[in-house]
Amino acid sequence: MVELEKEEDPLVHDEPMLDDDDTDEDYVESEDDDSEEELQAEPSKKAVYNKEGLLEKLEDIAWPENVDWMHKLTVDHDQGEKVDVNDDLTRELAFYTQALDGTRQAFEKLQSRKVRFLRPADYYAEMVKTDTHMHKIKGKLLFEKKKIEEAEERKKARESKKRSKEVQAEKLKERAKEKKESIESVKKWRKQRQQGGFSKGKEDGPNLNFEVEEGLKQHKKQRPGVSPGDRSGGLAKRGKQGKNHRSKDSKFGHGGRKGMKKQNTAETTNDFRGFNNQKGESGNKKRKMF
Amino acid sequence: MAKKRKRSSDALAPAAVEKPDDSAPERPERTLFGFKDSSDEPASKDAGPFFRNKEKVLITCSRRIIYRYRHLMQNVVSLLPHAKKDSKVESKQSKGSALNELVELRSCSSCLFFECRKQKDLYLWMVKSPAGPSVKFLVNAVHTMEELKLTGNHLKGSRPLLTFSSNFDQQPHWKLLKEMITQIFATPKDHRKAKPFHDHVFVFSIVDDHIWFRNYQISVPHNEIDKVDKGGLDKMTLVEVGPRFCLNPIKIFGGSFGGPTLFENPFYVSPNQIRALEKRKKAGKYAKKVKAKVRRKM
Repeated sequence: MVELEKEEDPLVHDEPMLDDDDTDEDYVESEDDDSEEELQAEPSKKAVYNKEGLLEKLEDIAWPENVDWMHKLTVDHDQGEKVDVNDDLTRELAFYTQALDGTRQAFEKLQSRKVRFLRPADYYAEMVKTDTHMHKIKGKLLFEKKKIEEAEERKKARESKKRSKEVQAEKLKERAKEKKESIESVKKWRKQRQQGGFSKGKEDGPNLNFEVEEGLKQHKKQRPGVSPGDRSGGLAKRGKQGKNHRSKDSKFGHGGRKGMKKQNTAETTNDFRGFNNQKGESGNKKRKMF
Repeated sequence: MAKKRKRSSDALAPAAVEKPDDSAPERPERTLFGFKDSSDEPASKDAGPFFRNKEKVLITCSRRIIYRYRHLMQNVVSLLPHAKKDSKVESKQSKGSALNELVELRSCSSCLFFECRKQKDLYLWMVKSPAGPSVKFLVNAVHTMEELKLTGNHLKGSRPLLTFSSNFDQQPHWKLLKEMITQIFATPKDHRKAKPFHDHVFVFSIVDDHIWFRNYQISVPHNEIDKVDKGGLDKMTLVEVGPRFCLNPIKIFGGSFGGPTLFENPFYVSPNQIRALEKRKKAGKYAKKVKAKVRRKM
């Protein structure tokens, strides 16, 4: 019969851990297990677990009990619920909370001992990652931030486009309404004048507020900073491929690698500029002139 | 290798490596700041043992190690200022005795040996040198410090804070592992290369019978160096520095690099077996198809 260790906590898979048969005897060799069964989380029935040997070794190597905490700097943290291994987010969160809690406890201890443990802002010393590496990280972070912002802007533009149709329709309606109203008011005024006789010359014209809106309004199709003949609307990238070309430039200098240029093209076949000077003043001395 | 400084406690050194709890030395400790009497020990309960952490770790790897694991090894070397990196060792010979000799030669008290097999699997041996226990782990889920998503940074050589999850105290083999990890990963207090402040924290936690390792940089708003601002502890944030790995204990031996087996992990399946299983699953596909066809025709 397999005895369950009652003092120890149950294992993750709730299988009994075989132990007590070994304590009085010598070590039992483990069998070669059937690998199929192993994968289904069945513990090998004869795995060695020499509890006393382990505790003996522990006593052998352990530091003495009353070692000052400053030598060890260890903190224990209670994990709480079982963490699911496959759920990355909760697992990392559990580690993070463990670290945070541990650091808080440790800092309180350090503070009570009046040890200098916080790095001042002007303490410059060698760090575990080089400055160039941190520069790369910064570049990557900024790039990701930019990507997110651009995506958000594009979303907003899409949304506003949807709205803009409605807004346009409303504006058209309003304009039509106002036009109608102004025409109506002219007609009314004429009628009034007719009825009231044409004598009242001082009365000013119908209240037409022309100046208010149409004055400085830009033509809808115009966009500032974009030349009218530009069919892409200012969005096309000028020149060659932006990012690739910039990186090549920084590597090989302006104009690119010497080897990447075509030499034997249609234009250069009949181009004898380099061959004209026969007096030995040609630039490329390696070229053979026959 | 000539030792730079003669210390009064040199005579105690070999004894101190095996059993730090030896009888009180005749003269008071000579440390960097002068002679240290027991009265200077701040929180010692008894006439405290003059405990000096003289841990030295030797870090080596096997020959056919691949770039990812080599970077991991280099990261570990940079995290532990009390570590000595040595050249690669041949794997074919009886690696037990050769490595033991190497550790003794370099006068180290423990060893981290990264063994890479088939250019795919990394095994880590954590060994306490002269007669100590040794553990063999299978290393998974390796992320090195060079990854751009791990954005933190800390002082090279500063002493880390070690945090363990509470399930390390529940079973004897975890207790033994916790002690070994503490001794290997904690930077000795008065080590030459140790820097003064504490700005990073190691996390060792047991999830699903694996030991997960994380390394975070501590950033807390502070104006003075020996005390945190009032609300500072709440505003503390941790940024991950790396590296990251997950250890699966395979066996614990009583000697260094061998010896009687004290513990065997019942849930451990070697990666070779896993690969063999998967291949076997795919093996009979064609034969099965043919059989099924024949059966259908009948």
